[in-house]
Amino acid sequence: MTPFLEKWNPTVKAATVLVCVILLSVQYLVSLNLTVFALCLVLLLAGSRCGLRRLAALLLPAGVAALGLFFMGLYYARGGSVDPAALDTVSALPYAVRAAMSRNLYTAPQLATRLLAYAGLGMMFALSTDTEIFIASLLHQCRLSPKFAYGILAAFHLMPGMVREFNQVRLAFAVRGLHVHPLSLQPIFTMLVNSVRWSECVAMAMESKGFCGDAPRSYCLVPRIHWYDLAAAVAAVGGIVLGMVFLRY
Amino acid sequence: MAAQTALSMRDVVFRYMEQGKRNILDHVDLEIPAGSVTVVMGAGGCGKSTLAAVAAGLYPENGGFLAGGKIAWFSTGLDRMNPQQRARQVGMLFQNPDLQFCMDTLRKEMRFCMENLCLDPGEMEPRIRAAAEELGVQELLDQPLHTLSGGEKQRAALACLYVMESRCLLLDECFANLDRDAALQLMEMLRQMHRQGRTILAIDHQPDLWLDTADEFILLGEGGRVAARGLHKGNLPQYRPLFQELGLFYPEPPRPYRPAAEEKDPILCFEELSVAKGEVRRSLFRRRTEPAPLLLEGAEARFPKGSMTAVLGPSGCGKTTAFLAVLRRHAYTGRITLDGADLSGIRPRDLYRQVGIVFQNPANQFITQNVAEEVMASLRVWNPAWPEDACRAEAERRLEEYGLSRYRRYSPYMLSQGQQRRLAVLSVLCGGQKLLLLDEPTYGQDARSVQAIMAQLRDKVDNQGLSVIFITHDRALAAAWADKIYWLRDRKLEPARAGEVTL
Repeated sequence: MTPFLEKWNPTVKAATVLVCVILLSVQYLVSLNLTVFALCLVLLLAGSRCGLRRLAALLLPAGVAALGLFFMGLYYARGGSVDPAALDTVSALPYAVRAAMSRNLYTAPQLATRLLAYAGLGMMFALSTDTEIFIASLLHQCRLSPKFAYGILAAFHLMPGMVREFNQVRLAFAVRGLHVHPLSLQPIFTMLVNSVRWSECVAMAMESKGFCGDAPRSYCLVPRIHWYDLAAAVAAVGGIVLGMVFLRY
Repeated sequence: MAAQTALSMRDVVFRYMEQGKRNILDHVDLEIPAGSVTVVMGAGGCGKSTLAAVAAGLYPENGGFLAGGKIAWFSTGLDRMNPQQRARQVGMLFQNPDLQFCMDTLRKEMRFCMENLCLDPGEMEPRIRAAAEELGVQELLDQPLHTLSGGEKQRAALACLYVMESRCLLLDECFANLDRDAALQLMEMLRQMHRQGRTILAIDHQPDLWLDTADEFILLGEGGRVAARGLHKGNLPQYRPLFQELGLFYPEPPRPYRPAAEEKDPILCFEELSVAKGEVRRSLFRRRTEPAPLLLEGAEARFPKGSMTAVLGPSGCGKTTAFLAVLRRHAYTGRITLDGADLSGIRPRDLYRQVGIVFQNPANQFITQNVAEEVMASLRVWNPAWPEDACRAEAERRLEEYGLSRYRRYSPYMLSQGQQRRLAVLSVLCGGQKLLLLDEPTYGQDARSVQAIMAQLRDKVDNQGLSVIFITHDRALAAAWADKIYWLRDRKLEPARAGEVTL
């Protein structure tokens, strides 16, 4: 059986995540941020097929960014980083301690946990949504043009080939005596030329298989919006609004 | 009653630029009878692929300018059909197996094709099952397409045309990069579809695979115009001079392989060489090695100095990977020695000064946007002390030697496949490399270009002491040019015996 988070209509899910992100950006509640983050993780583990390892691999950069934001908020937020009054009374204390004593001690976790909440919502969407179902849902629920939708899918499916080709280009350059580092522009230029050519070929292949953007076509996969998709959206948004009203810190 | 015509082209004129002077298709007239198997042949650059794309309606929609003429499929004008209607008449199989899918598995791709034709979703699964069973591609249905071999991809693409029930199959060099076994498998599928009444129109530059199947061969000359038609297996010998005049492969039994009389000292040796298919994948938390099959296991080989050696084997058997091991770009166990020195003790830059490689797609190794600059850039890399003038003069000399000097101001991407390969060989050998590795030198080229590049290399081997190792699935090419041939089979490299390499 499909886990419930993966069953949630992708367009409704995306809209819900977007609304939640906007709501979270206008509040400063550490407790709400942390609750959202924790709930996202719990939902992902219970309601999707995403493994713990994949989750951890994504959490690591988010954690590092949150930590960075925490220290930035702690030392440099709100113009003056340290209350001048504190300087007079406890000047013997080191800067970090004085900073920690200032009101920034509350600002910093506000920023850091907000980032975690965003990361949680983003992961909840990304790790529980199948690209093809998402595109199909955009086609039917948002009237996305088939040309655009299948273009994205074709490009997405070209990725493994492009990675292979890119490695070969880098090797070819190295063999020609050029030092290639990960940010070298020349292999990227070659890939750019390749991708133009490739996209042309794929577009022609699609057209030769009868694909044309404006003619009517049938669909095997037609995602629909059910009552439970909307109920989940209302619950998520409502939960955050309630949190904003009733939580204090 | 006259037989129905599948394709009719009348006085078709097509060029890439509206204002351009050169017509790629210059007043082409062509008629293909329905239900036949017709093979259209022509030298590289004669416009045969363009002819296919124009006939299929892909040009001028995707580029170029149709200056005049009428094209019709089964008596319906091409201009009166949208892609959906065209696909019911003609389905196209392309040269590059990697670039013809939109979805990630064959099953989804087949659904995509049938959706394009507005078929009822309920009909799709039974049709997919029936097609897979009929064509024997069940095992390919749910595998990610990017993991399939070239031959499997072509079979998958053909299966898509099968479910679309296109009346004519238009094949644009669909065997170009397939080894013989894969090509024969694909050919069997084509025969099966022909027996069901489909017309087959193939563009190819090698007739040998088609000899028993084709009803007619058509030779194209300048501007895509028909130079001769009505050729078939029986009367082919009388057209032999025309094949040569047009620079086309004439189907003849390959020259039996005759190894060099005396074997020279080796430039490259494999001792107990084992190479695995899998790559070491690094995950964030632990390093793990995918359990990978071995491509080479305890292989022994000696590649003689100042000679041309071919490595033959089907696609995907690990020929290219073995090359990557020689360039120290793929892990191996055992010992590889280059001119007596153990490869593991040579620094990569020093290694690349001695060994060059030209890949299947030479366009991947260009580092500048100008032919002359391409050679000069290489000369500068390997000879940093040379003044600019000396580099320029040497580049000129080398371009002249390779017959490329009149293209010196062109972008390398504008050259033909054959010229691109010559330029790649030239640039790769700028550091005085003594060993050249060549990956599938025939890829996408006609007889004349292949002949030109191999003759040039033979000259370098004989007169300048260069050693060449080329990997190929083309046995005739190996037999014609190699002083020594290795088979890669059962994970071993075995030297071929005299006369053994035949089709």
